[in-house]
Amino acid sequence: MQVDIRNRPSFANLHVQLGAGDRIIAEAGAMATMSSNIEMKTRFNGGFFGGIARRFLGNESIFVNEFSASSPADLVLTQPFPGDMICTELRGNTLYLQPGAFIACEPGVRMALGWAGLRSWIAGEGLFRLKLSGSGRLWFGAYGAIFDREVKGELIVDSGHLVAYEPTISINVGMAGGIFTSFFSGEGLITRVRGQGKIYMQSRSFDGLAAWTNSHLM
Amino acid sequence: MVMPASRESFQGGVFHASIPGGRSGATLTIARGELIADTISEPSIRFSIPLNQCQIDLGGASNRMVFCRTAEGDLTIFCEEKNFAKELDFQSGGMLAGPLKELKKGLAADANRFRFWLTVSAVACALLLFLGYFGVLWTAKIAIRALPVSVDEKIGSMAFSGMEMGRKLEANHPASRLVQEIVDKLKPHASIPDLKFKVTVVEDADINAFALPGGQIVVFTGLIKEAKSAEQIAGVLAHEMSHATLRHGIERVSQSLGIVAAIQIMVGDVGGLVALGAQVAQTSILTSYSRAAETEADLEGARMLNAAKIDPKAMADFFAMLKEKMGDLPDAMAWISTHPQHETRVQSIQDHQKKLPVVQYEPLQLDLKAAQDAL
Repeated sequence: MQVDIRNRPSFANLHVQLGAGDRIIAEAGAMATMSSNIEMKTRFNGGFFGGIARRFLGNESIFVNEFSASSPADLVLTQPFPGDMICTELRGNTLYLQPGAFIACEPGVRMALGWAGLRSWIAGEGLFRLKLSGSGRLWFGAYGAIFDREVKGELIVDSGHLVAYEPTISINVGMAGGIFTSFFSGEGLITRVRGQGKIYMQSRSFDGLAAWTNSHLM
Repeated sequence: MVMPASRESFQGGVFHASIPGGRSGATLTIARGELIADTISEPSIRFSIPLNQCQIDLGGASNRMVFCRTAEGDLTIFCEEKNFAKELDFQSGGMLAGPLKELKKGLAADANRFRFWLTVSAVACALLLFLGYFGVLWTAKIAIRALPVSVDEKIGSMAFSGMEMGRKLEANHPASRLVQEIVDKLKPHASIPDLKFKVTVVEDADINAFALPGGQIVVFTGLIKEAKSAEQIAGVLAHEMSHATLRHGIERVSQSLGIVAAIQIMVGDVGGLVALGAQVAQTSILTSYSRAAETEADLEGARMLNAAKIDPKAMADFFAMLKEKMGDLPDAMAWISTHPQHETRVQSIQDHQKKLPVVQYEPLQLDLKAAQDAL
């Protein structure tokens, strides 16, 4: 299976070339176009209850689609907002994704919804996170460009910019400075990531877009 | 050669520069004083750290991840399985007990601090809600008291027109004239000078009279029939007029005010208050005002009577007579049963009378007999 990310970084989409017998699992609604010989099967995303939990708590679809082909075929997958996509390969390790970031994965990758905790919620990162483990390639997207950081020690990120992180990373919420700085610097709450591992960040945040749009209304 | 393995293996991971991507999931075992990690990738690569060189650290997204690092920091093996830390400690002969304990203590302190702040914020939220709720009610009560008397009048006339009662006597009926004359005599001494007192006599055998906010007073024919003197009727009327001038009706409205009505008043919607007041006035006249309000009306009534040169004792006498006549049958006389104990009541009127300026009382030149006969 050959997968290219095209039209990067603003309007990235996945161009998947399936070989005979290849399979790929994608977020429901991500398919933009596909060859007529592709068979699409819809199944609950992590079982019935898991699927419902993922829909309402993790902001993902209840269903995922599994695309397979018995002869070579093409498939294009997209995401609903403008931004980049990235591919990463799991080798028995785990990656946590923020709600809405998941696009596609190979069949060897397991999906589960995990409790992220109140701290994550306060940080604006959601109460739940998608836990991806197993082996295989994984594609996820973000709003704006994606860049990663290899953390060793501590790093401060703005809430809402964190897209994915490894379980070896701990996340804590804090104020950007004192009360005055926190309120008037425009930074508000910040997220402190600590430990060893990789984090993926997006160069734009939805909160930022919402605030900017709001200031132009009326 | 097969390594003698630990009793269990664990699922964890390893960080090392030689692995493609720098990291991999791994199966961990502890054996022969070494922590061994076999990567899940194909082909599997083996890494190991002697336990006595392990730099232990706790953290990760779950805060339960145990990291074991070499002194140089180039190799890290980690795992968040529950028994891993225990097994690591056991296999190292307690060598890691110190750092593990220290780290766990720190985590527990963190958790406690978090719980503490969660509790503090929950209590603060509850307190704010509580204060906000009662703050709004309290402010609304003050706002109601500041409303002009015209609001009382509106509530009173609305409640009056919505009430079901017996036939109203004509204004020129001897009983109506008698009552009107007494009201006219008391009116100049009311504490709110421009309040328009309107008195209506209603055909009803009950010995009853009540006041609506704004000066609407209703007297039942039963009360006129049972009165021994015009002064006794004057006593009851002074008491009822006092309810109006002391604005007890609107006080009751403010007491029964819900949070929604309170907010309405605070944003200046008096219309809603009038509707609510009319409703409250209708349902609560017969259940009457509070004891404190009754006593207050007694004393204010006594003051008015005294100022109008009518002996306040007549009011006390009337209550005493009623009590005697009706005994303890509460349903026979709703008016008295919800009023304060008549002994204390008579006593407090008499006590109050002593504080009032000494006046030469003049008997009322009114024909009670003729009014009673006309009924």
